[in-house]
Amino acid sequence: MAGHSTVLEDGSLLSRLDRSLLGLERFLALLSGLAVFALMVLAVISVGGRNTMNAPLPGYVDWIEQAMPLIAFLGISFVQRDGGHIRMDILISRLHGRALWLFELISVLLILLLMLALVWGSWAHFDRSFDWSAPLWSRDSSIDIGIPLWPAKLLAPVAFSVLCLRLVLQIWGYGRAFLLGLETPVAVPLIQGAAEQAAAEAEQLEGQE
Amino acid sequence: METIDIGLWVTGGLLVMVLAGMRVAFAAGLAGLIGLVWIFWAKFGYDPDRFGKALTVAVKTAGQVPHSKVASHTLSLIPTFILIGYLAYYAGLTRALFEAAKRWIAWVPGGLAVSTVFATAGFAAVSGASVATSAVFARIAIPEMLDVGYNKRFAAGVVAAGGTLASLIPPSAILVIYAIIVEQDVGKLLLAGFIPGAFSAVIYGALIVGIAVVFKTVGPPVTGFTWRQRFAAVPAALPIVAVILIIIGFVYNPFGEQAWGTPTEGGAIGAFIVFCFAIIHGMRWGELKSALLETAKLTAMIFSIIWGVLIYVRFLGFADLPGAFSDWITGLSMSPMLILICILLAYAVLGMFMDAIGMLLLTLPVVYPAVMALNGGEAVSAADSTFGMSGTMCAIWFGILVVKMAEFCLITPPIGLNCFVVAGVRPDLSVQDVFRGVAPFFVADAVTIALLVAFPGIVLYLPSLAG
Amino acid sequence: TEWNVSVWGKRRAFTEHIEKLAELVSEKTGGEFTMNVSYGGLSKPKENLDGISIGAFEMAQFCAGYHRDKNRAITVLELPFLGVNTLEEEVAVSHAVYDHPAVKDEMAQWNARIIMTSPMPQYNLVGTGEPRDELAEFEGMRVRATGGLGQAFEAVGAVPTSVPATEAYNAMESGVVDTVAFAQHAHLSFGTINKADWWTANLNPGTVNCPVVVNIDAYEALPDAHREALDSSIDEAIAHYLANYGELLKKWDSVLEEKGVQKVMIDDAVLEEFRAKAADPIREKWIADMSAQGLPAQELYDLVQATLKQQRGGN
Ligand code: NA
Ligand code: NA
Repeated sequence: MAGHSTVLEDGSLLSRLDRSLLGLERFLALLSGLAVFALMVLAVISVGGRNTMNAPLPGYVDWIEQAMPLIAFLGISFVQRDGGHIRMDILISRLHGRALWLFELISVLLILLLMLALVWGSWAHFDRSFDWSAPLWSRDSSIDIGIPLWPAKLLAPVAFSVLCLRLVLQIWGYGRAFLLGLETPVAVPLIQGAAEQAAAEAEQLEGQE
Repeated sequence: METIDIGLWVTGGLLVMVLAGMRVAFAAGLAGLIGLVWIFWAKFGYDPDRFGKALTVAVKTAGQVPHSKVASHTLSLIPTFILIGYLAYYAGLTRALFEAAKRWIAWVPGGLAVSTVFATAGFAAVSGASVATSAVFARIAIPEMLDVGYNKRFAAGVVAAGGTLASLIPPSAILVIYAIIVEQDVGKLLLAGFIPGAFSAVIYGALIVGIAVVFKTVGPPVTGFTWRQRFAAVPAALPIVAVILIIIGFVYNPFGEQAWGTPTEGGAIGAFIVFCFAIIHGMRWGELKSALLETAKLTAMIFSIIWGVLIYVRFLGFADLPGAFSDWITGLSMSPMLILICILLAYAVLGMFMDAIGMLLLTLPVVYPAVMALNGGEAVSAADSTFGMSGTMCAIWFGILVVKMAEFCLITPPIGLNCFVVAGVRPDLSVQDVFRGVAPFFVADAVTIALLVAFPGIVLYLPSLAG
Repeated sequence: TEWNVSVWGKRRAFTEHIEKLAELVSEKTGGEFTMNVSYGGLSKPKENLDGISIGAFEMAQFCAGYHRDKNRAITVLELPFLGVNTLEEEVAVSHAVYDHPAVKDEMAQWNARIIMTSPMPQYNLVGTGEPRDELAEFEGMRVRATGGLGQAFEAVGAVPTSVPATEAYNAMESGVVDTVAFAQHAHLSFGTINKADWWTANLNPGTVNCPVVVNIDAYEALPDAHREALDSSIDEAIAHYLANYGELLKKWDSVLEEKGVQKVMIDDAVLEEFRAKAADPIREKWIADMSAQGLPAQELYDLVQATLKQQRGGN
């Protein structure tokens, strides 16, 4: 379930950074949505071209595989900002105040640890496919029409780095809430009851009809 | 320490992280990464000087997974199916379907509820996600049921249960995920979901009529629609029929002529047609943009779980846990059918607490090889097999059973997302109300699953036609 | 010593030499040197070479066409119409090329050392409808063929269409493609033979090249006895593979008969025409491109031809 925004805002430096990053995140997510749309158009062109002119889109599969990382990675930080990545909150929804912030803080720290490692690992994956001295800088290309793979591979460390920035802000936000014993900290997603969350989501759908 | 032990310890750690409320995608990724470091370091004999080397190998191995697993032609069905659902909403298809179903079948006892179930089944043919389906119908169908004096909880239960049909009836994101994990033909699996999905809808309908006949006050029939009104409601619902036919035509042409393309293309063409209807229905850039953003969010979320869990699965591969589990299962002295039923029951229990996609990704790499081994292996022929079906057919049959279990978990307490959504849409209903209203449908689901287990032909008829 | 070996799919004719190698090595070392062959658990096929370079596993199989840029030198073995007719010849030319210093250097960049090939027969076409046995009939034909083979068919007016192997059956059934080029075992395992009306017995346009590699560090770190056990088992593993694949090829004719698939023999004149249009230009382009990138392309090609001649002379 995609979560609904429950991040409070104010005039503090943290909140301003939060909103600037949100701008970038929303832009990346929109790119990802447009890529989904492009996927659909690509299929129409491919099927249409094949059935009407006997001219299938050359490298149709290759292009889709290039577009998938765009679709899959670019929205990741946007989702984390609103607390939209799935989790089980049976336990954590019973906590309040400092205990809650401590749990959130540890959990976000662990995620940052993972993502830093993955920035490294996915960069290495990109690096193995990239070669300054090769044609198109490519040391790994798609099977059929030989599109260089490094741009798609580069998307993972880029999107993960943006997520790392987001996690740093959330560590700041939760850390501050924990130290100061805040009730409603800014720049971090606040837990809603599951039902509240569903209500928020339904409202969102309602706004769309 | 044996790699299997490392596998078990890390799996325990993963459960603790998930229970403590860490985001599932990242908990799985972290567990996988730590497990890989452990395995490689163990291979180096825990030599302190070589810890750095073990860490590097583990990080680079894990770092391959996100791009490598996500850049897949088959997985492109998932964002497409998500987009179709949002577009269908703008195209006004939801309301048109319900209106048509109402005019044609509301005259039976509990008729409006039966209409709701059939309309959700129809909508399921363009929507790949169960939760969204319930959210949409909670707004459209519940008010009408309450207007004619339906029991409030019952009405809510109907919508929560009806939504689950979206993942059996193609297109279905969950079925695609199953196909990817077990490396089976997506087209055949989607095809296989059709009859069990329609079958579930019929069983729901029968249950509703039964309840309405016994408890007269629960759901009175609605009469008075003329034949003219009935036919008048049909054209608006026709686009959905067109989309269904196109998607079927792409997967397998029922008229026996040449089909038009691959399943992946079928999904995309379906989305394009719904997009055209949405444009005609008045969708403009503003709405399209929010549909795209919502699609991006849901997609990013699902794919994060996919690659996160697959890092963990990659670790399981190095730990050889699936092989060990499979050996254990096939070594049990219970009857194979009893083992299968125990596995399904375990899914029912797990599904009470877990989200469907996460549950499948976590369990299938271990459970699927075991079930296949139980049947006699991937390449077994129907004659030599335990369950009387070939390896491929067993993969399809088990897939539909597991997806049905995953759907079941959407309506069981304490975590039943469909019920939360329905309660969220209707402020006058508490989550407890919805859970009580949906309880009779547990019986229907249990009956459906029992029948699917007892008569695999229900699942396998269409895919076997496709060769 | 315990080695992890990364392959993909299911155990089949294509992996029998690896299974045999694992068996022989374990036997010779009294169970001290074991290989766990993992079918897809450790890596995706396209990333097996990456895994070797990282050191995630010690041995792996991959196909040159999966990533031409990673292994430019051995793509010479995937050029169309090389003239290889039997699996034995395929082994001979592959191993000659693998021993060339340019290949060894390129593989060493991935920390990899090729120990043997997985010989594949020529990729012949299955198709639906009327058999296509004239070059003119290839015009506009939608064919599932990748890499150099795809280029060859394109050169005579066919339309290569990208479809993953797993979707090849669907693609044929739905008319996305008219014909599919595979080796025999793949026509069987991907079901394309069930859909076919005919099969080209002698088109022999080329094949794919799939070596088995080991991680150099792991190989050099082996105790002498274990390395000796590995090195000395390779010929026997290949022999086992050839015998096993031979059995499959023997059954092939009866499979065709059983499924009612017509065996199409193409005239030598037509083949000659196809070769002239496809083989020469593609080979010349390959040699020009690879030479521009600093590879001894002509030398590699000549090596293939010389080895073929030698192999036939020897018989
Ligand atoms: Na559906
Ligand atoms: Na549940």
